[in-house]
Amino acid sequence: MKKNNFIERSISGAVSFLKESIFADEYASKNGFLQSLDPRIKTLTFLMFIMAILFTKSIAILLCLYAACLVLALFSKINIGFFLKRTWIFIPLFSLFIAIPALFSIFTPGQTILTINIIGAKLIITRQGLSSASLFVTRVVTSVSFAVLLNVTTRHFELLRVLRIFKVPQIFVMTLGMCYRYIYLFLEIVENTYLAIKSRVGSRLHYKKGQEIVAWNISSLWQRSYYLNEAVYNAMLSRGYSGEPVLLNDFKIKSKDWAWLFSITLFFVIIILGGKII
Amino acid sequence: MHIPDGYLGPATCGVLYAVMLPIWAFASKIVKKTLRSRQVPMLAIAAAFSFVIMMFNVPIPGGTTGHAVGAVLAAILLGPWAACIAVTVALVVQALLFGDGGITAIGANCFNMAFVEVFVGYYIYKIISGHSSVISARRVIAAGIAGYVAINIAAFSAAVLFGIQPLLHRAASGESLYCPYGLNVAIPAMLGEHMLIFGWVEAIVTAMVIKYLQKQDPNILETAEEVIE
Repeated sequence: MKKNNFIERSISGAVSFLKESIFADEYASKNGFLQSLDPRIKTLTFLMFIMAILFTKSIAILLCLYAACLVLALFSKINIGFFLKRTWIFIPLFSLFIAIPALFSIFTPGQTILTINIIGAKLIITRQGLSSASLFVTRVVTSVSFAVLLNVTTRHFELLRVLRIFKVPQIFVMTLGMCYRYIYLFLEIVENTYLAIKSRVGSRLHYKKGQEIVAWNISSLWQRSYYLNEAVYNAMLSRGYSGEPVLLNDFKIKSKDWAWLFSITLFFVIIILGGKII
Repeated sequence: MHIPDGYLGPATCGVLYAVMLPIWAFASKIVKKTLRSRQVPMLAIAAAFSFVIMMFNVPIPGGTTGHAVGAVLAAILLGPWAACIAVTVALVVQALLFGDGGITAIGANCFNMAFVEVFVGYYIYKIISGHSSVISARRVIAAGIAGYVAINIAAFSAAVLFGIQPLLHRAASGESLYCPYGLNVAIPAMLGEHMLIFGWVEAIVTAMVIKYLQKQDPNILETAEEVIE
């Protein structure tokens, strides 16, 4: 018998997921700068930011973009501590960890800038290695920060509806919207099931029994999902569904949105053209 | 397996979006034709199911846990084209709303998990299970093998994408602009962890779920077979 905490982890995973969504919705309803923009314009300009981050070869531009992201977060009344924690954990920290070997000449040969002796072994840090690793980590954290800033300043339903401006077929947009709702329902089912299991068996469980519990949970979730389909379809019919999804369009573009779109487009063009020159 | 933004260069991201566009278009055409109108909500429910599977912590020896992708399971239960859409939707929700997996890498992530893993897994399952009954043990073994092989091939595909970055994007002074490791590092690193840990997690979850469904509700498996065919 080995102490196994997968039940605890699954419960805390589901709870933190639900909490995070509540926080995101709380920030999205604040009266900040990004929250006041039209979701379509905001998404378009954030995609430009993310594309600029992808295309640029300069760490200075990446750092400027990261600083701009933090300023935008401040103007949007996002708690910076929450934002840094949310953006650095987990992907950028993981990227930082995997970028460390790239510093050394074994992986990135080049001009030596520092030699470290560890128990007789010589480790050489190269200029190219340092540059590759820092560019990689800065690019990752800047991209993640913009993506997180977009989703904490926009209501999730609006963000999904925005996909229509990219000509995403309505069946996909409707599926995304419905899927989003079911995730919460399923997570609640999973959380309640695990709580019930925990209250009956505690936390000491052999891993094989644990795997059986997970498999049973997944199959039971599929069974519920399968039979839920019929009830959902009947509910859709009773609300007037006739085979083609109809989506509401209540977005309004103001002059402030056009000004924001114009300035970010200009910035994006400069970065793309500048990238070819620098 | 979820590739974040910043790991792949613009050329790789662009090409994989271009590769996925006709696959998504064809998948929606096939699904629209085969899915009965009563089953329209099924796609959304299946997408949410794919999303939630990725959140299950599966216990592994040593007291730690791993995650399954569940793409092969979705392919067995829904058919490969519907599973392709369901896994795509789950990946888009993860990238757009929860910052898990990059927005610029959606094409690449969908290629690996919603296309390679789904189709490889589905056809391995079909070949091994043959015309056996839906409640046969052969199907359980087929599901396990399909899960293990498919996730490893998807991981190999992701490793190749990582590994070609230093070849495609390198500054004049020699530094890498995106993922800094070549194929000689990326492939062993990705395949090592998937062959030793995540492949087994995927195999165990896929096989055991099929086994449980055979025992509890074989009707679901029979209906899935009919719809797919």
